[in-house]
This record gives sequence, structure tokens and C-alpha cells, in this order.
Amino acid sequence: MKKILIVDDDPIIRNLLEQILEPFAEKDIEILIAENGLVALDIIKEKQPELIFLDVMMPKMNGFEVCQKIKNNPTDKIPYIIMLTAKGQETDKEKAKASGADCYITKPFNINDLLNKVSEILQVNLN
Amino acid sequence: MSKLFKKTLIMIVILFMIIAFTIAISTGWNLYNDLLQEYKSKGTAIAKSIASSSIETLLNRDASTIQAMIDRFLEISGVSYIFVVDANGEIISHTFVPTIPEEISKIKNDKPKDTYVKEIVFENMGIFIDITSPILEGIAGYVHVGMDKSNIIAQIKSAMLRQLLLISLIFIFSIIIAYMLVNKVSQPLNALTDYAKKLTLHDFSSPVDIKSDDEIGLLANTMKSMATDLHEVFDRYEQAINDAIVELQNTLAYLTAVIDNMADGLLVTDTDGVITHVNPALSHMFNMRESDFIGRDCRSIFGDKFAEIVEKSITNSEEIFTTEIELAQKRIGKAVATGIHKDTIQSDEKGIGAVILIRDITSEKEVDRMKTDFISTVSHELRTPLTAVKGFTEIIKKRLEDDIFPNVTTDNKRVLKSILRIRDNINIILSEGERLTALINDVLDISKLEAGRIDWKLENVRPADAIEQAIIATSALFEQKKLPLIKDIDENLPEIICDKDRIIQVIINLLSNAVKFTDSGSVTCRAQKLEDSILVSISDTGTGISETEKDHVFEKFRQAGDTLTDKPTGTGLGLSICRQIIEHYGGTIWVESELGKGSTFYFTLPLKNINDVSDISKITYNNIEKEYK
Ligand SMILES: Nc1ncnc2c1ncn2[C@@H]1O[C@H](COP(=O)(O)OP(=O)(O)OP(=O)(O)O)[C@@H](O)[C@H]1O
Ligand SMILES: [Mg+2]
Repeated sequence: MKKILIVDDDPIIRNLLEQILEPFAEKDIEILIAENGLVALDIIKEKQPELIFLDVMMPKMNGFEVCQKIKNNPTDKIPYIIMLTAKGQETDKEKAKASGADCYITKPFNINDLLNKVSEILQVNLN
Repeated sequence: MSKLFKKTLIMIVILFMIIAFTIAISTGWNLYNDLLQEYKSKGTAIAKSIASSSIETLLNRDASTIQAMIDRFLEISGVSYIFVVDANGEIISHTFVPTIPEEISKIKNDKPKDTYVKEIVFENMGIFIDITSPILEGIAGYVHVGMDKSNIIAQIKSAMLRQLLLISLIFIFSIIIAYMLVNKVSQPLNALTDYAKKLTLHDFSSPVDIKSDDEIGLLANTMKSMATDLHEVFDRYEQAINDAIVELQNTLAYLTAVIDNMADGLLVTDTDGVITHVNPALSHMFNMRESDFIGRDCRSIFGDKFAEIVEKSITNSEEIFTTEIELAQKRIGKAVATGIHKDTIQSDEKGIGAVILIRDITSEKEVDRMKTDFISTVSHELRTPLTAVKGFTEIIKKRLEDDIFPNVTTDNKRVLKSILRIRDNINIILSEGERLTALINDVLDISKLEAGRIDWKLENVRPADAIEQAIIATSALFEQKKLPLIKDIDENLPEIICDKDRIIQVIINLLSNAVKFTDSGSVTCRAQKLEDSILVSISDTGTGISETEKDHVFEKFRQAGDTLTDKPTGTGLGLSICRQIIEHYGGTIWVESELGKGSTFYFTLPLKNINDVSDISKITYNNIEKEYK
């Protein structure tokens, strides 16, 4: 069973993403939630998700650090990481790339774009 | 004695000597001839009288009578000797004392028929004129009378001496008179010369008293009035020079005071980058003494980047170069370098140095940093709720459209009407969300542009590609309004080095404006190559912009028309962002428009210099005004 992990400190955004990804949940894809980087790392270790939505601006450990930790772990299966940035700084794009993220999406995002992207990555046809 | 007089005197003396000697010689010659003639006739007379009176005595051979006679004649002046010889040449009597000179033998036998004169030299006695007179035609003998010639010479000598003496006396006398005369003329001349000498030494006060009414007096008077005039002129000039010096000193003091009291640090270098001047503010900024700077190479104190802008500004008079520089105590300064160029020097020639102003921008930097932090915070804080609003609205819309509305099976008109309203309202929320997103993006862009917080990528860009991408991005807008887009793009546009996304952003802004303000007609996009730049233009057949609005459409939040009555369909940031981007690359952007007929927006991108070095920014004079505003 495929798994998607959502990492965001903001419960509303977590909730939004969860609802957006509902069509995948209906297709037997497990949606996992983590409210910060540390929890996320634990979950990743345990569940090994294929796709991770990772927010940049988080307390304790920011998205870039989490991303680096995930990508630098050779033992586990390496997941696809989508960074969620607030486009605060122009350098975010580069930083995301440098820390190993596969792609990044600026808030606010377009739902259809997002769904298309996920189905492409997980190779799940929603229709 | 004047030099003139000395010179003439020598000439006169020489001339005089020639004249005096010629006169003396000719006089002497005349005298000599006269005396000689006189001696001859005297001697002849004596000889003849002796001859005539001695015939008898001779015949009687009365020698003693003859002796007595000739002795008497000897007393006559000039007569040196007398002797009488008989027809055989035997001396009968003579006056020679003590002995007869031997030379007599040469002449005692002369037997002339008449009185005869000839010269004879007696050794030890001198030259004599010997006059021979026959007695009784030589039968009774001959009388010889000797006249002393040295006497003549002595006479001539003394006569000549006397004459010379006299002439010399007269000459000396006349010289003295001449000297006095010349002196009388040259003395005022000398005085004038002295006066003139003093005038050349600017001594205008010394007196000159020549009170004659001849030319010299006139000259003296003229010189005097000239001196007063000169004095006045010199006084005036001196005053003027003194005034100028005082003024100069004041100006210098003023300038020095200005420079010394400047809050900004000021540094001047020569063409080699050697520091020639610093002001106290600068010394203070670097916590060094003035003497630590002067004469040193600016590279050794401020490093390579600084030296580079100094070098560039010296060789380039048109532009100003800036860089950041570390000051003492971890403070940050901004150095602005300008070349010093004399007006006469051509702009491409090397100047005479550089002036560098350094401003402490630590607090500005801090504010800047805070501003950027603030922007990113605000943007994050705005985006997150906006994401939620947009996202949930979309989900609601989806759920309504997919699950609820199809399942409402009622004919209740109220319900059906509500469904339409809800659909409308949700669409409004969504589009307003889009607008809010666009606004946030624009505000972020503009504040980043203004803060210089943009990382400009450097890539080779084909202008045609950039235009094509912009057209694709705006194609939906054109479709919506059913407006045709005409393309006229030069195939052979050269590549430029710039940030492609930014150029696309500019073209999108212009295209979307063109569509937004045009209801019918068409939009045309042109691109062509100019001499050293690329010109892109976007024309429309829309509303156009009035003359007064034209100057303001590139300003932030400026929208043409009355923003209170016409509901603005944007934020008024698009053109401002365009201008920031174009000017970053050293290009220009402008608009030509006629109200009601349409507008054309142009921008240029220079082909060279486009790859700007990020931390040494080059500002044209045009922009610097804006910089300090
Ligand atoms: N092609 C055009 N024809 C007529 N008026 C124009 C055109 N382009 C711009 N303007 C005028 O200039 C103003 C400023 O344009 P600008 O692009 O900066 O802002 P905007 O389009 O109103 O908002 P946005 O920030 O969304 O682009 C516009 O509001 C409009 O009045
Ligand atoms: Mg616009």
C-alpha cells in the first residue's frame, strides 16, 4: 500500500491537504500526518512513504533540514519530496534544490495542479 | 662720464692726433724748405761777399786779412765754418777748430764756375750745407761757406713742438668744454635712466627733478605722468590680487570646512589609486589617523573590490561605481566612487583621480534586513491563510458540484436560485483569491526589486523564446476577449545574457495590460535589433493613456483614470515592476499613446554590459537621482 506523508505545523493546512488528497485515500493510499520534522522522521522510518509534502517554515526543525536528513539516509527507501514554500525569499527555490527536494510548490497552490502531480508520481489514475 | 662721451672722446682723440700730426709734419716740411732756402741764400751771399772782397787779398796772399774777414762772418748765425782755397785747392785760411776735418779733402778741389750748393756730412760734426763760390771765376780760388743743417732741424723740432703743444692745449680745452656740454645734456638723461630703472623695480615714489623745457624735460614729464598712471594701475592690480587671494582663501577655508564637517567619509585618490586626501569623518569610520592613509595605495587599506571601483571610475567618467566596504567596529559602509575629470578632458581619456564617498549604512542595512524579514514573514503569514481560503473554497466548490448539486432534486425555485448564487459567489471568492495572490506576488516582487534582494540569474536568452513563452502564458486572456495577437519578430535577434524569467515577466505584464485595456482591434508584438540593443514593442488598439497620465503609469500603484469611480482591475504595480527590471539591465521603457486610439509600450535591452556584476553596481546618472530620493 502506497503512503503519502504530510508534514506541516499548521493544522489547517494539514487538514486542507488531507481533504485535497481524499481521492487518493479512496484509492487505498494511506495519508500520514506529522506536525513537525522530528515526528516526520520517526514516521518515515517506520512507514517508509513514497511521497512527502514538506512545509518549509516550521518551528524546531525547518523543512530544508528535514529534507536533508531524509535524503542523506542511505538505508531507507528514498521518497519523493514536494516542498511547500511561502515564496518569502527568492533563495527558497535554490535552497530547496540544494537540500534535495524533488520539486516545490508555492502557497497558495492550485488544487488541480497538485492532484495531477501526485497521480503522476504515484502512478495512480484518479478517473 | 657718460659712455657715449667716452666713446666719442676716443674717436675724437684719434682724429685729433691724426690731424695734429699731419699739420705738424706739413708745417715742419714747409719750415724746413724755407730755412734751407734761407740758409742757402744767406750762405751764398756770404760766400759771394767774401769772394768779391777777397780777390786782392788772395792775390796778395794776405792770409791773415782773409782770416780776420772770415772770422767776422763766422759770427753770423747758422754759419758753421768758412774756408778759402786757392786755385790749386790749397786751403789758405779756415775757421776749423782745432783741426780741419778729413772730409774737406773731398770738396776742396771742387771747381765750380758759379756758386754751387751741396750737402756734406762731417763725421762727429753733423750735416752741413756747403756753398762754394769762385773767386775771380776760380782764378784766385774758392770760398766755402758751411751752414749747419742740424740747426735747421733743431729749429723745426722746436717749432713743431710748440705748435703741437698749442694745438694740444686748444684741444684739451675744447674737450673740457665739450665734456661740460655733454654732461649738461647727459646728466638729465642719466637721471631719467635711473628713474626708469627705479620704475621697473616698482618704486614709483622716488622724485626726478628735471625742469628744463627741452625734449628731455618733456620726456621727464611724460615719464612722471606715466609713473603715476602705472602706480595707479599697479595699486589697483595689487588690490585686486589681494582681494582674489582673500577670496580664494575664504573659499578654500569654506570648502575645507564643508569637507571636514561632512558626515560621510570622503577620500580622494590620484590616478594610480594612491590616497591624497581624507576627511575626519573617514578617519573616524576606520578608526585610523589621517596620516595612516595619505600616500598609501587604497588597495592595501581597503582591499581589491574597493580598488576596482576606484580604477573603473578613473577610466570611466560617465558612470558611478559603488561597493560595500567593512568599517571599523563591524560596521558597514557604502562606497561611491566618481572619477575626477577636468572639463577639457575627453570622456574616454583618463581623469586626474577619483573621489570616493563612504556612508555608514549599518543602520540602513539593518532596516533593510528587517524589511526583508518583515516581507517574508508577512508574505508567509498572508499566504498560509490565503492557501486555506483558496484551497477550502475549491474543495467546497468541488464537493458542491460533484456531490451536492447533482443530488438536489427539487423544483423549488428558491433552492435552484440559491444554487446559482452559491456557484457565482464561490467563483467570486476564487477570483478574488487569485487577485489577492497576484497582489501579494507583485508587492513582494517590487519590494525585493527595490531592496536589491533579487538574485539575477545569468543565462543566454533568445529574445524570441522569451516572447513566445510570454505569449503562451497570456494566450488564455486573448482567447477570453477574442483578440488577435499579431507577431512581428525579427528572426535573427542576437542572444542576450539576462534572467529569462524576469524578461518574460516584463512581456507578460505588457501583454496582459494590452489585453486588459483593449476591447476590440488587435495587439501587436514586435521585436527588432537596433545598433547595440534590442527593441521590443507591444501595441494595442485600446483605450490609450492621456498625456498627463503617461508620465505616471510607471509609478507604483498608479493607474490611469479615476480610481474612485472606475473600478481598478489590478494593483498598479505591473509597469513599475517592468521598469525596475528593464532599468536593472540598463535599458529603457516608455510609452507612446493617444487617448481612444491605443498605446504602444516600448523597451530596450542593451546587448553589452547586460551581465551586471552583482556586488559592484553601476549606476547611470539618470538613476542616481532616484537612488538618493
Ligand atoms: N495598454 C494599455 N492601455 C491603456 N492603459 C494602460 C495600458 N497599460 C497600462 N495602462 C495604464 O497604466 C496603469 C498602470 O498599469 P500597471 O500594469 O502598472 O497596473 P495594472 O495593470 O492596473 O495592475 P497590475 O499590477 O495588475 O498590472 C493601468 O492601470 C492603466 O491605467
Ligand atoms: Mg498590469
